[in-house]
Amino acid sequence: MSQVGVDEWVARAEERRERRGGPLGRAEAAWDALPPVARLVLFAALVASVPFITDSDFVIRVGVNTLLLGMLALGLNIVVGWAGLLDLGYIAFYGFGAYSYALLASDQIDVHLSSWLAILIVVVASALLGLLLGLPSRRLIGDYLAIVTLFFGQIFVEVVVNLDRVTLPGSDSPIDITGGPNGIPGVDPIVLLGFEFLTPTDYFYLTLGVLVVLIAALYLVDNSRTGRAWRAIREDPLAASLMTMPVKRLKLLAFVCGAAVAGLAGTIFAALQIGVFPRNFETPFLILIYAAVILGGAGSIKGMLAGAAVVGISFELLRQPSDASWIFYGGVLLALVVTVRPWRVLAAVLAATAALGLALHALLAAVWPEAVAGAPRADWALSGAIDNWMALPADPKAAGNWAFVALIGVVLWLTQASRRTRLLVLPLLLYLGSFVWENRLLLDPSVTRLLMVGAILIVVMSLRPAGLFGAKRIEVM
Amino acid sequence: MAPLLELSGVYKAFGGLLVTSKLDLVVEEGEVVSLIGPNGAGKTTVFNLITGVYRPDEGSIRLDGRELVGMAPHRVATAGIARTFQSLRLFINMTVQENVTAATYGGTRARMWQSVLRTPRMRREEREVREIADDVLGFFGERLAGYRRLQPAYSLSYANRRRLEIARAMATRPRVLLLDEPAAGMNPRETAEITELVARLRDERGLTILVIEHDMHVVEGISDRVVALDHGVKVAEGSFDTVARNPSVVEAYLGRVEEPA
Repeated sequence: MSQVGVDEWVARAEERRERRGGPLGRAEAAWDALPPVARLVLFAALVASVPFITDSDFVIRVGVNTLLLGMLALGLNIVVGWAGLLDLGYIAFYGFGAYSYALLASDQIDVHLSSWLAILIVVVASALLGLLLGLPSRRLIGDYLAIVTLFFGQIFVEVVVNLDRVTLPGSDSPIDITGGPNGIPGVDPIVLLGFEFLTPTDYFYLTLGVLVVLIAALYLVDNSRTGRAWRAIREDPLAASLMTMPVKRLKLLAFVCGAAVAGLAGTIFAALQIGVFPRNFETPFLILIYAAVILGGAGSIKGMLAGAAVVGISFELLRQPSDASWIFYGGVLLALVVTVRPWRVLAAVLAATAALGLALHALLAAVWPEAVAGAPRADWALSGAIDNWMALPADPKAAGNWAFVALIGVVLWLTQASRRTRLLVLPLLLYLGSFVWENRLLLDPSVTRLLMVGAILIVVMSLRPAGLFGAKRIEVM
Repeated sequence: MAPLLELSGVYKAFGGLLVTSKLDLVVEEGEVVSLIGPNGAGKTTVFNLITGVYRPDEGSIRLDGRELVGMAPHRVATAGIARTFQSLRLFINMTVQENVTAATYGGTRARMWQSVLRTPRMRREEREVREIADDVLGFFGERLAGYRRLQPAYSLSYANRRRLEIARAMATRPRVLLLDEPAAGMNPRETAEITELVARLRDERGLTILVIEHDMHVVEGISDRVVALDHGVKVAEGSFDTVARNPSVVEAYLGRVEEPA
């Protein structure tokens, strides 16, 4: 007889742990087997090699933005992933850092502090702002905290937009602090140890350096008493307090650390962009940071970096219709390959979709030439094929809008339909989806890329609910 | 010598509902005292009052002469009172080892910058934390040792979760341990083990223990003294035998028997 509590099921728990199979799983296992320092050095070397591979200014800029997104994701991870506080005003600390640096190093109020001093002041001030937001919020949990912090983020933008004509007591003429909607242009570059950071490549390495230090620091904190306590208060605040952990102080500490990281990221951003504008710090960017955190798997440092890379890079690729089309059609094809089996059915579906398009195109060209008079919006490898397959009206917007509504209707109906119906309607659905993509979504890339990031997020979350590298969590036992 | 834990005149009401009234309770050092009483008698409330979750309306609670009333729960815990929960409250997504090491927070001092710089003091502290983890998890023999240490707490069996709660409470280095129904939901064999465990906690660890328990075999087996509560009032106190025969206790559990006229 086995001992009480030691049965085979328990003893083999390790084998049942969710592991990725295949080459990806082996790569991850090999990566995790490396010592932490080696992992950090490898990561830094890999990222640092990017400017050697390409001299495209665009790529480097996307790189800096992605690294900044990584910093912000790591900072937000302290608050959301470790301490478990849903902070929807995080973007305000980023904006506060950027604006503070801009004020301390530009002609706006004619102050030009040295970079060391300015960065120190900005980081301390951001941390203090975090403390200020944390003080009233530390008693709030869950939804209530989310509402209060969301409000804080909105107030920040409003304040910044309106602080361009402040009349101080004892003075008659209004003064301009933040430049209002026009922001603050002409921010000084960062100068450290006599080196002036001017080009995007300079900032790429600066941000990478800061990021590496941040990763090391966060790794050490995560494995210290503070990190353990943060994770404990996320699990059960009452039990944590009864196990000697000062819950309110730990929450404040998380807010302060997160805010300081965001302030530092904001400083780099302001110097890189040579200016700060209110629209840089609005909710859409907060959503991107959250997308990176959720996609990567809240709580995991590695996950934050992966999430930032996926979100940051795909978001930039989606700006160009030609790149975006690759992602769209590639994603659709991938989804079909994964879900439609066996391959004969898949081939039939694809053939039916192609035939449907060609037939419809020929019919429309004969009876209503207006409907195929347009040209493809994206200039890429398949543009010619799409011109012959897809109906591209001369004025696509109205048709695209109606098709979008029809698409949503069809998808809703299909969720209730049987498998056979779904397969039969699938070619029509694919055609309709492509129609919406070509005639509506490609016209507004700025909106479309948010939709696409949302779609990627939905797909990944349904495949891996804990994110790319997040540990599986259970809520009740 | 002053008692280690002393409640005097503790009074607590939630609105109009009186939960403890003029409660006096004394626990001497090295003693195992059982708190019994029917459901709703206010036993868990007494634990919540001692640990600072609730603040009494009147009265004083002292640990080794030091007043605990008004102290935040984490300070009470650091002062030397640890507890387990009737409905388990583990950090379920953390590993077994982390559940225990997290509870050493109050006993360690390293600031965050010291953790980042890995100062010698911080490293010494972390070694001590690891020793505490080895020690308290080792107290349960094989149950929480080996590969299980790095498993998430949710993967443990029910009985092991109860053991881990006790281990976690021990990691705070308490002087008084409050156990809230340690044998609830255990099978007879595990229940017998709990009885032994409580005796070992007192004898090997020198802990003073206040325990809430419904299983009268356990109460009989572990208690130096038994205190019976009913409707927040102490109705009997003494050895198990005297309390078990006390008419007020029998009445509290079974109701009054009408004397035939």
